[in-house]
Amino acid sequence: MHRIAASLFLLCALALTAHAATRPRYGGTLRIEIHASIETADPPQLGPGMPDLAPAFSITRWEAGRRAAYAADEKAPGGRPFLDAVEVELGRPPREQAIDLDVGKAEMIEIPPSEARRQPAGRRTWVSQPVRVMLLHFGARVDDPRVREALALAVDRAAIFNVLLQRQGEISGALLPQWLSGFAFVFNAASDTAKARELAAALPAQARSFSIGVEDPALRPIAERIALNARDAGLSVSLTPQAGAADVRLLEVRIASADPPRALAAIAATLGLAAPGRTDSPDALYNAERALLDGFRVVPLFHLADVYGVAARVKGGAGISPLGEWRLENVWLESGRP
Amino acid sequence: MTFRTRLLVVYTLSVVASVGMVEWLVTRATRKAFERLEGQRADFLVAQFQREFDRRGQEIVRAVRDIALSDAAVNVAISSDNSADYNEASAMARAHGLGLLELVSGDGAIVSSAEWPVRFGYVEDWLTAAPAWKPGVAFLRREELPDGFTLALAAVETVNAGGRQLYVAGGQQLDRDFLSTLVLPAGMRVLMYRNLEPQFAPHLLAGTTDQAADAQEFQPLIERVIRERRPRVATLGSGAEAETVHALPLAGIEDNLLAVLLISSSRRELVELENSLGRNGAWVAAGAILTGILMAAWATARVTRPVRRLAESAGQVAAGNWDATVEVTSRDEVGQLAQAFNRMTHELVEQRQRLVQTERVAAWRELARRLAHELKNPLFPLQITVENMQRARESHPAEFDEVFREGSRTLLAELANLKQIIARFSDFAKMPAPEMQPVNLNALAADTMKLFEAQFAQAHVTARAELAPDLPTVSADPEQIARALRNLVLNAIDAMPEGGALTVRTMPQGAGARLEISDSGKGLSQEECERLFTPYYTTKTHGTGLGLAIVQSVVSDHHGRVSVESQPGKGTTFRIDLG
Repeated sequence: MHRIAASLFLLCALALTAHAATRPRYGGTLRIEIHASIETADPPQLGPGMPDLAPAFSITRWEAGRRAAYAADEKAPGGRPFLDAVEVELGRPPREQAIDLDVGKAEMIEIPPSEARRQPAGRRTWVSQPVRVMLLHFGARVDDPRVREALALAVDRAAIFNVLLQRQGEISGALLPQWLSGFAFVFNAASDTAKARELAAALPAQARSFSIGVEDPALRPIAERIALNARDAGLSVSLTPQAGAADVRLLEVRIASADPPRALAAIAATLGLAAPGRTDSPDALYNAERALLDGFRVVPLFHLADVYGVAARVKGGAGISPLGEWRLENVWLESGRP
Repeated sequence: MTFRTRLLVVYTLSVVASVGMVEWLVTRATRKAFERLEGQRADFLVAQFQREFDRRGQEIVRAVRDIALSDAAVNVAISSDNSADYNEASAMARAHGLGLLELVSGDGAIVSSAEWPVRFGYVEDWLTAAPAWKPGVAFLRREELPDGFTLALAAVETVNAGGRQLYVAGGQQLDRDFLSTLVLPAGMRVLMYRNLEPQFAPHLLAGTTDQAADAQEFQPLIERVIRERRPRVATLGSGAEAETVHALPLAGIEDNLLAVLLISSSRRELVELENSLGRNGAWVAAGAILTGILMAAWATARVTRPVRRLAESAGQVAAGNWDATVEVTSRDEVGQLAQAFNRMTHELVEQRQRLVQTERVAAWRELARRLAHELKNPLFPLQITVENMQRARESHPAEFDEVFREGSRTLLAELANLKQIIARFSDFAKMPAPEMQPVNLNALAADTMKLFEAQFAQAHVTARAELAPDLPTVSADPEQIARALRNLVLNAIDAMPEGGALTVRTMPQGAGARLEISDSGKGLSQEECERLFTPYYTTKTHGTGLGLAIVQSVVSDHHGRVSVESQPGKGTTFRIDLG
């Protein structure tokens, strides 16, 4: 009997303790570090990340390129967030972000794909769906489709995916990711160096040389590898950080909507392509996407997810949506006010 | 050029030639010695550099071995998934001071590359296919980089772990940075031509400084070494900028010539030493030559002084000072010559005195003979006349008066003749000094011709005057010149006893004037011409022989010159030149 009573007491105590540990707490400041250095005079209003904090949080301080501070809105539509404030430090290199997370100077950091597999055991991560499409976008100067096709066929996506992206995201030849459209796998993403070499050989020597512009230093290794692949195909590709002056740009385009037609339209608009035609059915959507990719003006390479490293004291479930939007209104810190 | 000058020149040339020869021999021998030492120094430096090069190779071998033995390399080797290891090589290369490092899996695929990180997955056949490399030995290799090919000093080690194999290939680029880390002695520099292209390319020449300017200078040597694949030594540049360059071919593991190592040793020190030697040698040579010249001048003066005195004395003798002697200061040949000269002048003086005495006697005899001859001619009629007068007195007194009158006239005539003869001798004896004044020889000649017109006609002589209108006046005593001219005219008339042509000419002669009197007489022999002006010498049956002597005396007193030109049968021309 006594043994039963003792067991019941112990179970009650454990239940109470567990309830105390998982119960949301108010208060505290969530410190976020991101790599982007936003130099605009005003804080960004659109796009993923900080704009997603509204309306639960409102901006209280903005130092362009350095940091931003948000405070919880007591009258937020969904109720007051648990956190008192969110501080975002801008322009932090990935390596310093990782250190800050380790030493407790940050609670949420970005993790680039190349580092995703190197995270210490037990580190919490928030991973979105693949919401960024990495692609090559040819400028108007490269008007010979054979050049564009040769480069598209020369790129060894698998090697880049395995090594430089550490198998984060998906190899893709489509603009819309597989999880969003369901037919991304139909678009060819395999390399064919022999055919690329054949196409390049038929080109005049002048057309075989062009430049790839890559503004984001994080993408430069990928651009270098593409240049190396291109060389194997007989193309001479140089890299330049001046994307505007380049013949081809290597860039990422974010999937702006979970609705495939809208997402495709947004991508086309971002890239300056003609608006997709009819997209009211899967077939029409496929054809619209195929039409955008015909001519190899745009060559999708990968779909990448947003990955965040999160400190253990951040509680409350995933703080990002499948599209990578910040959803911090239900997140609290373990050391916050009870 | 004087004897002394010639002697001085000969001495000087001898000194210069001797000093120059010695200077050349010394310089040549010294230069050869320096060249030999410089060659030894350069060989030593080359050997030192090669040791340094080998040492760097050993450092690379050690670094690659350390990497191969490291846990990190073993982890890469045993990993079944190397996709996360593609950055390992960069960290390892940095940690071990290597510029180039590749981790290559057993199948030859690059796992990680420090020099070209994105080249992962590419296959390095040279590591796996019948490898020419040996572990622990550094070798040269042609390495491909994103911006082109380069040359590397490399080493390879293998890691065998967990049944897997990993190649660790590391090295250093042989570029300017590598060369600048080599420890080089002063005055030495190292360049390396990377033989990465079929033709010579200046940008492939690497050194510790910008070598673009040197590339063309090195090109022939580099091309020769590449062609012959043998070390070569050449001297490039000139002067203090010259360098002795040892060009060594560097072959790769496949015996392909990958580079030419140029070890350049500056010749500045040698050139400056040679220049210093040359300058000092030149100063010494100049000093020696100057000293030689001074000594030659002194010796020449000493040697030629007696000769010069001898020449001066000979000159004095020639000028008439027969008493000149030379001081005898030595017993050598020059002294003997001086003694002989003195004896000669002494003999000359004595002979002259004897000759003068003899001539004086001969002159007196000639004078006596002339006087006797001249006086005998009038004395004989005087004697005959007096004897006729005596005979008429004694035998024919009645005719005495007549004989006396005729005899008196004859006596007076002969006495007058005697008086004239005595006057001529007196005139010759008391020739006065000329009283100089400007004289127009044309007027003088014309007056003289006019004076002799009657005699010309009587002697059937055709006289002609050819007087130069532009004849300058001369400074002369007109009376004495007229007298000389008259003597010559009389002489010409006498030379043409059967008549002929007489011409008097005047013409400018330099700043002075010439007067010529030509006749068409029978002419004179060479001997007669030579004795013509000797007093009392005459070719005529009458005359005192003083006429031409007086002419010569007058012309001599006027510092002029009288000459005669004649050939037998072609007449005679006398010329008087007056200044």
